[in-house]
Amino acid sequence: MKPPPAIRRLEALLPASPRHRLALGLSLAVLVLAAATAPAVGVSRDEGVYFVAAESYGRFWAEAVRSPSRTLALADQRFAVNHEHPALAKQLYAATHAVLNGGLGLSHAQGYRFGAFLLAALLTFVLSLFGHDLAGRPGALLAPALFWLVPRHFYHAHPAALDMPVTALWLATVFAYRKSLLGRGDGRAYLRWSLATGALFGAAVAVKHNGWFLPPLLLAHWLATHSAAVRRGALAERLRAVPLAFPCMALLGPLVLLLAWPWLWHHPLERLREYFAFHLGHENYPWMYLGTLLRRPPFPVLYPYVVTALTVPAASLAAMAGGIAHSLRRLWLAVRGTGDASISDEVLLLVNALFPMALIAWPTVPHFGGVKHWLPAMPFLALLGARALATAGRRLWPARPALVTGALAALALVPAAWSVAHVHPFGTAAYNEIAGGAPGAASLGMQRQFWGDDMVAVLGAINVHAAPGAHVWYQEASVAATWAYQRDGRLRGDLVRVEGPEEADISVWQYHQEFRDKEFSTWTQFRTARPVAGTYLDEVPLVQVYARPGAWR
Amino acid sequence: MNPETPLPPHLGARYRPGMETETAPPRLRDRLRALFWPPRPRVLAGGYAALVAAMGLWGIAFQARLSSRLPSTLDWQAAASLLEREARPGDAVALSPMWAERAREVLPASIPVMALPRYAREIEDLVGVRRVWLLSLPDAPGKSGVIESDLAARASSRDEPQRLGELQVARYDLRSPTLPLAWLPDRLAGARVDLGGQPCVAGPTGAFRCPGPPWMRVAREVREIDFLPRPCLYAHPGPDPRASLSMEFPAVPMGRVLRGHTGIIGDAALDGRAPVRLVVEVDGEFLANVDEPPRKPGWHLFHLDTSRYAGRTRNLTFRVSTADAARRWFCFEAMTLP
Repeated sequence: MKPPPAIRRLEALLPASPRHRLALGLSLAVLVLAAATAPAVGVSRDEGVYFVAAESYGRFWAEAVRSPSRTLALADQRFAVNHEHPALAKQLYAATHAVLNGGLGLSHAQGYRFGAFLLAALLTFVLSLFGHDLAGRPGALLAPALFWLVPRHFYHAHPAALDMPVTALWLATVFAYRKSLLGRGDGRAYLRWSLATGALFGAAVAVKHNGWFLPPLLLAHWLATHSAAVRRGALAERLRAVPLAFPCMALLGPLVLLLAWPWLWHHPLERLREYFAFHLGHENYPWMYLGTLLRRPPFPVLYPYVVTALTVPAASLAAMAGGIAHSLRRLWLAVRGTGDASISDEVLLLVNALFPMALIAWPTVPHFGGVKHWLPAMPFLALLGARALATAGRRLWPARPALVTGALAALALVPAAWSVAHVHPFGTAAYNEIAGGAPGAASLGMQRQFWGDDMVAVLGAINVHAAPGAHVWYQEASVAATWAYQRDGRLRGDLVRVEGPEEADISVWQYHQEFRDKEFSTWTQFRTARPVAGTYLDEVPLVQVYARPGAWR
Repeated sequence: MNPETPLPPHLGARYRPGMETETAPPRLRDRLRALFWPPRPRVLAGGYAALVAAMGLWGIAFQARLSSRLPSTLDWQAAASLLEREARPGDAVALSPMWAERAREVLPASIPVMALPRYAREIEDLVGVRRVWLLSLPDAPGKSGVIESDLAARASSRDEPQRLGELQVARYDLRSPTLPLAWLPDRLAGARVDLGGQPCVAGPTGAFRCPGPPWMRVAREVREIDFLPRPCLYAHPGPDPRASLSMEFPAVPMGRVLRGHTGIIGDAALDGRAPVRLVVEVDGEFLANVDEPPRKPGWHLFHLDTSRYAGRTRNLTFRVSTADAARRWFCFEAMTLP
């Protein structure tokens, strides 16, 4: 029996190859899951700013279409907001907001965030294809699962921020670069993947500055694994040996950045200088680490490794660590000429898995923000873990490898999925079994949370109990975040934001060791140390609400 | 070898030529070594699988048990009822682990809740506290026994702990509680405050507003010093080191000791180029200088002998000054002890 025409039309849209279909299916699953779980996630400090920026950028495009002659002047005006970060992701958020909020009536937050869900889906798609390339169908399934079933990664799928998008584009750039190297014998594929590498690199740097590390990293990879090609022969021959991906990155990267960031259309060099200067001199936010408040460099070198070891679920961590060991062994055997592994692949995977953490480990690089600053490493760790699990299955029971790999994957992923579900939506407060969960981490003196988004959990209580017109101090939740809540009707519009406990009737204290004086000042001002409401993760206080007499009904 | 040649005697009577090629049965250690070294792919895969499986099972057990290791709403209500019934003036609650601060939301407002990392006598005075109710989460991950040990060491008796689900309550009667004759932050309302001779004016909240910028005031506050809440007298020194901020407390009952602490609030404790000097006078007569050092965060103890004034009432004056007044968010407490 023939399927109905609607199904046939749908099928025609789907990719032909099973691995692409699988990757697409997983991507859609991530998209739907992220969209379904997003309303519970609060608006973080940075995200609130990105909402405002996206709105401003969206207005630019609307106005530029109406009056093209004013485009340059408008660019300066509309892109001045949050010009310390490039604009591509925020313009995507503006576009999805225009369609979903303007067109379909979804909430403003969900409209902006849909762009982030799309990039999370892109990450899933590439990760599945990459996993398939490395370890077949088990790799295609396990790599995305190992990546997403980490509470902090799952959390970062939601905000309309920049860390997950740049992670997706980092992975996509490396994937395209690898494909370009593999396609050197095939002229069209070689050109296509080289161009894709350049364009994706451009998109990465048009999202966040992490992307700038890609060309030196990939060049180091190529020189380390293809040094013979540039050591011998005439200059022209040597230059021809350089993969096309590098000139493509050199040309398309800045071009895409320039096109995607209208702020650079005026005074590009001056503004680029300002942009780099901002990030090279980024301030150090105080950060709790093993009972010490890190304020100034030099910071502990082990910080990213310890935080990773305390936040990735233990079994997933073991799978990933085993994946690194597996890759090192394959590399060792290949270098000795006794293995069938590709030296190029192993080096590529290892440098991408290890470099982002090593970068943050540098003692003068600011240490804050949990795993988000080395998030681009994590898909590669997931790939290595997925391949190691698939290999273990083949080695242990060659006749039934899927059974062994499936059992191992279940043992690794069930507790991981459990922790994701348990911690949601407090992803920035998530710690693993090794830390002892949130309680163990609090005893260890680790950073309890960041970004101010956990306030979302007390919005309901504030809406019900706050006296009409009460003055509220939201502490870590930014002006933009509280405005976003009010605009979406999640926070009463009559409540007035104030900037300290002295002026406030209600104080929403979000636990940060470095701001503890603000909580104690609230006790003084309100003449009570007794909260009227609170949010706790496994008994660990995240948010506590204080009120003056009469302000909480 | 010529069969006629006599063999060396150390080879023994049973030796026959060619026997050295026969191998002795391998020992267990050698067999195990042969099994694992050089590492074969299957052995490595087995070790890896065992590690992942063990971690996975541990993770499942951890997640399954986590909620049952932590108190329920009912447990907290039971603890609140117990303390409502049993607590009396001079009691306070100590939390173990110190982050279990839901207690402040749940327990009766009449009983102070302390969330401190240590309670040893040489670290914490516990001013005015006669009995401590230790509220602990005995099965919580990361729990340590330091707080219990500190309290046990300074207690004359301890009630048998009561288990309320996943909470445990134990009462410690302090052997020698710190009961001051006068705790000066509480006497601020009756004090005379001036900055370089210019009077500071008391406001409706009891704080004194001094001439100059808004931070020039004297107030009884709870402030963060070295990350912990300290009830103290906030007294920011004035910009002119010759014009000290003066607080005179009239008719203070004196004992043998004037004891107190000084500190700089928050991250300002990491800054500064000069100490903040606290000059202590009794009836206008110099008693001591107490210096709060710059860039040395902490709640620093001072302990002065006042035995010659013991049993009398005296005017106590504190003068605060510094050569570097930028961000000197100075706070101090002082008490007279018998």
